[in-house]
Amino acid sequence: MSDREVQDTIITALADARFRGSPEWIDRRLADGERVERFARFLARHFYYERVVHFFKYSRALARVTGRRPDAVLRGDAFEVLLPRVVLGSRETAREVAELVVRDQLGADHEAVPYFEDLLRYQEAMMVVEAGPRDWSAGTDPTTPVEAGALAQIVEGTTVLELDHDLPAVLPSLLAPWEEPPSAPRRGTTLVVARTPQARVSVVKADPVLVGLLREVERPWSARELADRAGLEPSATEALLRDLAGVGAVRFSIGS
Amino acid sequence: MTGLMVGAFYNPHLGAELLSTDVPIDHLAMADPPRADDPSWPSIKERYTLLLHDYLGQLSEPLGSRGIERARHLAELYDSPWVAEHFQCLHTEDGTFNLNYVFPPLYTEEFLQRFVLNARELAGQLDRPLVIENIPGFFEVSTSQMPEPEWLRRFFEQTGTRFLLDLPHVWLEAHYRELDPVAWLKEFPLEHVLEIHVAGVEEDHDLRGPWISPAEPPDEMLDLMDEALALCPGVRAVTYDAFSPTLTAEVLFRSVQRIRDRL
Repeated sequence: MSDREVQDTIITALADARFRGSPEWIDRRLADGERVERFARFLARHFYYERVVHFFKYSRALARVTGRRPDAVLRGDAFEVLLPRVVLGSRETAREVAELVVRDQLGADHEAVPYFEDLLRYQEAMMVVEAGPRDWSAGTDPTTPVEAGALAQIVEGTTVLELDHDLPAVLPSLLAPWEEPPSAPRRGTTLVVARTPQARVSVVKADPVLVGLLREVERPWSARELADRAGLEPSATEALLRDLAGVGAVRFSIGS
Repeated sequence: MTGLMVGAFYNPHLGAELLSTDVPIDHLAMADPPRADDPSWPSIKERYTLLLHDYLGQLSEPLGSRGIERARHLAELYDSPWVAEHFQCLHTEDGTFNLNYVFPPLYTEEFLQRFVLNARELAGQLDRPLVIENIPGFFEVSTSQMPEPEWLRRFFEQTGTRFLLDLPHVWLEAHYRELDPVAWLKEFPLEHVLEIHVAGVEEDHDLRGPWISPAEPPDEMLDLMDEALALCPGVRAVTYDAFSPTLTAEVLFRSVQRIRDRL
């Protein structure tokens, strides 16, 4: 095993609580187990503090109305219970931590914010979609041209959110100074939340055509097939697919 | 000590205060690129000397053309007198796990060669000095082949890069190894130091001991800074190292002033 592989083993142990409990890690005796456990817990709290503060920033802005800061759950008993199964960066742990925050926030006084539940679903989706292995090779974002024969398919984790309020209309105001919580227009709004392999999360407001296209690419199809199925012009379909690929919602592969 | 710059990190939530303060601050270190919606950024750029201190990449692997281009771009944007990186290896080679927090490499021959090669590659593409910051280990790894100070010394001798001495990191290592901080400090290759970081420490629940925090540096840290300044002939800047949304303007300004008062 190279030194680089040993380093990867240590990083894995710090990131993955289950691995720290495995004979594969324990029997190697690379470091003091108790110290490693303490540092891993420190890292886990730091890792999810940064994410909760970032993704639940709108709840944080509303804390003076609701009385609850989203990051407070990271000092609570529920997070302590979660620590023995935390896998840093995994979608499962992101989902569990986000659920803790949502559950805690729902217990707050949020009558003054009619779109509060939509807001929580939005922030939760952002945090969960961001999770997952990241491409550190400093490659370019996916802008693969739609080659003839290339098959488009939705990227795992891409989420379609159906909301009762037009959240994008209110989000900037929430982070600006306000006396009363800003209001959001009550109208059905569909958002697509996706991430690139480099973990850049994007939100796209979607119309029924775009949502229909995303539903279709749950199975791989060529652009021409999709155009036929969706009743769209091939050029318009290719443009939509390119846009979706740009935000990481769709990837292309060459069929076998 | 004359000609020594004293500064802090640019915390965008304190942009307005940094523009209106009369506390003398010579420079601001940039841990993140400026946000497009930061109203203070244009005036901050105009008023302060800026030091590039972003995450450029881990030097256990080559930064690649895109990473180097980003480093060059940011250095030019800030007109940074030097460019900083860390002795860190925080994500697995395949990208599966990322600690999202500075974490040191193994102090082995293999890692030394990796870091030397990749630092030379980066330094060769920059038109200004590259400085690299020491990172503390909370536990020792049995496969390490040499003490951290020796590894660092050999690195600087082989690359000609400069040392960003993070004093709280030295202090923490001494604390957890039950060593005298000044004696431990003297083990490091201080002749290569260009910049020094000073920060606060607080008790951490998980570590059951002190760790870096966005607090004022305690007197003990400032005493260690006095020792370090006397031992680092090439030092040009001291930076109060706190970058956090919880940092207050009062703490930042008092910390800078207390550092300045010691010079």
